[in-house]
Amino acid sequence: MASGSGHLEITDLELINRARRGDSAAFHDLLDRHASYLFGVAVSLMGNVADAEDAVQETLLGAFRGMRGFEGRSSVKTWLTSILIHQTAMRHRSAGRRPATSLESVAEVAGGPSASSSTEATDTRIDLMAAIQELSPDHREVVVLRELNGLSYDEIAEALDVPRGTVESRLFRARRQLQERLHEYLV
Amino acid sequence: MNECRQSERLGAYHDGELSGAARAEMERHLGQCPACAAELERLGRLSELLVAAAAPKLSLAAKQRLHNGIDTIPMADLRRVAEICGAIAASILLVCTIWLVVKTRATTDAIPVWETVAVAQQEPATAPEEQLAQWMVQDLSGKSAHD
Repeated sequence: MASGSGHLEITDLELINRARRGDSAAFHDLLDRHASYLFGVAVSLMGNVADAEDAVQETLLGAFRGMRGFEGRSSVKTWLTSILIHQTAMRHRSAGRRPATSLESVAEVAGGPSASSSTEATDTRIDLMAAIQELSPDHREVVVLRELNGLSYDEIAEALDVPRGTVESRLFRARRQLQERLHEYLV
Repeated sequence: MNECRQSERLGAYHDGELSGAARAEMERHLGQCPACAAELERLGRLSELLVAAAAPKLSLAAKQRLHNGIDTIPMADLRRVAEICGAIAASILLVCTIWLVVKTRATTDAIPVWETVAVAQQEPATAPEEQLAQWMVQDLSGKSAHD
């Protein structure tokens, strides 16, 4: 992709290679490209902003330390997603429970009324976030990656290290559950 | 709830993830199965609804914290290396200490040289039994002369 200056945009893989050679600015560029995406996934998985920021921080630290082992078989985005999924799963296991589904945390994630959204829209977002948090971790992951972030089945399978068929079956069951939970919005 | 067995692949069809042949088969099925057609429509509405569940944006302050966290990695790694070296050094010291204690105990079991020498010096130059034997010989020699 060429920019207005005529220079080709540097690929993620090139940034990783530069970072491996000690160019810390290259890794910061990677952070700028993917931090918002990672944060969005993390918030949807963790259910609260504070845990999401921690998870993203740990993901980036893990990526920085482990980038020598990145072989380029998947995209950098998928690789980072895989690390993030691992981080959130570890936090879930250590917490021994589902992420915070209190009304306060979900409302924090859903955001309040703003100039561009009404109270009704906010309530809808709260219901949607609560429904997603009620899913099992496996189902929540595939829904967040597919429905909220548009990853392909192959990318999701790569990130979760599961067969493509498993992604499809998990999405099927998760969507059935969401349809039941949100049926009033789907009539 | 839709009980049709083909419904399990509706999601993949909805997501554009079915191959050409599978997609064509699903399209034929949708023309014949009202339940699947209705569920496909619900999947579309669900996807539109979930768009509203998009997570809040990463704030500039939070992004800066992430950048700062990356910058502290070298120092954190140095501290970790120092901790590991310290643990290794402590382990080596402990092993050496144990080895020295074991070696010292082993050498105390042997008789010291000074004690061996002292015992040797206490032994008489001529055993009493030998001297007695000499006297007996001298005495017997004297009696035999009279016989």
